[in-house]
Amino acid sequence: MTRTVLVCCGTGCLANGSKAIADKFEALIAEKKADARTECFVKRTGCNGFCENGPLVKIMPDDIIYYKVKLSDVEEIIDTTLIGGKPVERLLYKDDKGRPVTKQEENPFYAPQLKTALRNIGFIDPLKVEDYLAAGGYEGLKKALTMTQDEIIEEVKQSGLRGRGGAGFPTWRKWQTAREQNAEVKYVGCNGDEGDPGAFMDRSVLEGDPHTVLEGLAIAALAVGAEEGFLYIRDEYALAVKNVTAAIKDAEAHGFLGDNVMGSGRKIKFSVVRGGGAFVCGEETALIASVEGKVGEPKPRPPFPAIKGAFGAPTTINNVETLANLPVILRDGGKKFASVGTEGSKGTKVFALVGKVKRTGLVEIPMGVTLRHLIYDIGGGIQGDRPFKAVQTGGPSGGCIPENMLDLPVDFDTLKAKGAMMGSGGMIVMDDRSCMVEVARYYIEFLAEESCGKCTPCREGLRQMLGILTDICEGRGKKGDIELLESIGEMMQDACLCALGKTAANPVLTTIKYFRDEYEAHISGHRCPAGVCTALTSFKVEADKCKGCTMCAKACPVGAVSGEVKKPHKIDPAKCIACGSCREACRFGAIATEGRKGK
Amino acid sequence: MIITIDGKACECEKGEFLLQVAKRNGIDIPTLCHHDGLPGQAACRVCLVEVKDGGRSQVTASCVFPVDHEIEVSTNSRKVKEERGMVLALLRMRAPGSEVIANMCEAYGAPKIGRLKPVVDGDKCILCGLCKRACASLGNGAIETLMRGTQKYVGTPYDQPSADCIGCGSCAEVCPTGAIEMKDEKGVRTIWGSEFRLVYCRECGKLIGTEEYMKAAGNTDDLCDDC
Repeated sequence: MTRTVLVCCGTGCLANGSKAIADKFEALIAEKKADARTECFVKRTGCNGFCENGPLVKIMPDDIIYYKVKLSDVEEIIDTTLIGGKPVERLLYKDDKGRPVTKQEENPFYAPQLKTALRNIGFIDPLKVEDYLAAGGYEGLKKALTMTQDEIIEEVKQSGLRGRGGAGFPTWRKWQTAREQNAEVKYVGCNGDEGDPGAFMDRSVLEGDPHTVLEGLAIAALAVGAEEGFLYIRDEYALAVKNVTAAIKDAEAHGFLGDNVMGSGRKIKFSVVRGGGAFVCGEETALIASVEGKVGEPKPRPPFPAIKGAFGAPTTINNVETLANLPVILRDGGKKFASVGTEGSKGTKVFALVGKVKRTGLVEIPMGVTLRHLIYDIGGGIQGDRPFKAVQTGGPSGGCIPENMLDLPVDFDTLKAKGAMMGSGGMIVMDDRSCMVEVARYYIEFLAEESCGKCTPCREGLRQMLGILTDICEGRGKKGDIELLESIGEMMQDACLCALGKTAANPVLTTIKYFRDEYEAHISGHRCPAGVCTALTSFKVEADKCKGCTMCAKACPVGAVSGEVKKPHKIDPAKCIACGSCREACRFGAIATEGRKGK
Repeated sequence: MIITIDGKACECEKGEFLLQVAKRNGIDIPTLCHHDGLPGQAACRVCLVEVKDGGRSQVTASCVFPVDHEIEVSTNSRKVKEERGMVLALLRMRAPGSEVIANMCEAYGAPKIGRLKPVVDGDKCILCGLCKRACASLGNGAIETLMRGTQKYVGTPYDQPSADCIGCGSCAEVCPTGAIEMKDEKGVRTIWGSEFRLVYCRECGKLIGTEEYMKAAGNTDDLCDDC
């Protein structure tokens, strides 16, 4: 029989040495050719999503998946699985009850997922167009070539597809506007400037399945009547730039792109534009300015890019994940796509689930699934079974959602109504040891650096908010600060020039809305309830809980903890720097926080 | 088409910007980064107005808001006053050295918020970017807004004297707050770290410009427009 070894070569696994593992598989398989019954291929695939357990190695058709594979494990896998046909038990994933799991779909991380945008990733070699074709690739484009522009747009309208980049604008409507423009030159563009901290959905698609993005963009080009397109990819995504560039060349060589697309006589040409490294370039008009070679600053709209965009021509920009859904919509029909999801949000959504959850990684689920399901079932709950505090959704411009909203369905409209947003899919889970004021301060600092700085409310509003939030975190908060933050934030929602600015105050406004008491504790109580802000925190050992295990004393970097074995320890407040290392080290919950004395 | 601004019926064309319509009708809306020759800057945001359209209402910058259909506009609603006041209060911290801003804050009742901190004492620049646009529109491009976010400032490449600068002074001319230093002394103009020899009209003695400006304009005769 023929067995295939799929070695994950996404950025996460590569960083953990997966390339060397793939190389060793190739070399050893060639060496051990003795067993004539098994023919083995090694395939380098894109990101499987479960990066924290990488490097991942999958064996097909047995459907065995190994986690945290080391170079030294390769020989055993070849002998036991490839030749012997049995799993190597110690490399299997253990589920929540500690049972080993062989198949990917039995893994609690993957089982509830439904993959559309990520459908091929982890199965195909991103650099082989043959792999993509075998998985039904370019069939959507083939079908689109037989349809009129209006028929393509109608199909996408039926699917209910909305932009996955964050705003959730109906894709068909954007296309319709561009299609109606009477212009000789039109452009389509792919927005691959993913910049939210902790988000890597688009990167994985660009790296692991570049042809699906090209196919989606080609379908968009046919729909709006464009012959040229660009893929704007942030330069930090080196592997994505490399794979997409190679895929364009490959697609042209096979006639899927170029002067005569699949023999239809139609012309579609794409090029890669490497982003200049600015978060704000994810905003459409700033992205276009950057493509034109100008400083990446947003422009007022109207005119909308679909009417007057790059170089003055009608331009439709779609997000990577949006594009990745299109080949499936055209191939299988819009109705089928619309059968998944909620009333207003159809299909699936990819999330980068990170933070204090047990299982972090890339997750694709149907729209409308609850946050609780996402965090507790797929994510496996909070690390160390600590209490959940908040989940930050939608990147820096999103918001923090508290525990009592965990049963909300995740879709475009529900989260927006709560002042947060689903955004592009970043989802950062926080436990009770996260300070919400510090979280707001972190995001405002990020945005103050990443704002383009063009309009007053965004640039100066963020600057002043950062000053106030830093003061609060460092114990210099004043009465009235909360109200001042609110009025700056509310002004920004109206007065800023672009969507980045209009949403930039969200981290502050949502944390005030849902965690106001924590702000008040900082300002009036001189206390950081989470024990994060060092100026407002001191730690003490609760003698009745302390077992005298000495772990805290060993963890303390400044020697502030003292005590004898098996006797309650003590922290010297004069030496303590409130770093929290003792609390992290304690297994008995004996380290408590309180406000800073003498303040 | 007729729209209402502060209760006054104002005639306008479809596609005209609100600010334009208001100005023509003698309705006061403060502006800083708006310049008739370089429209659409939309950076300072002091020209905020409230637009009521059916049941919806939004506060928006009037300089780039095109009139599309009949709407009701308020330049002085409570919301406009509050939000414009906050924008001005922020600008006062951005440009604590600017008299223009101080006067505007006074005139439009911007709140004095002691908690806000001035960015750089004595600074007058509000970073509206009109100067760089004026420079670029003349084909020079000697200055640009550099860096981004709160680090943004206006300068020449690498903060070195720019070979593209012709010392025409257009940047200083369009600056709404007089933030660009330009000194004409003893027949020499100093601006952006460069020095330029000044040319005066040989008939009346009026200042025409710098030598580099004359060259760029293709002007070989040192006569002013009047002579």
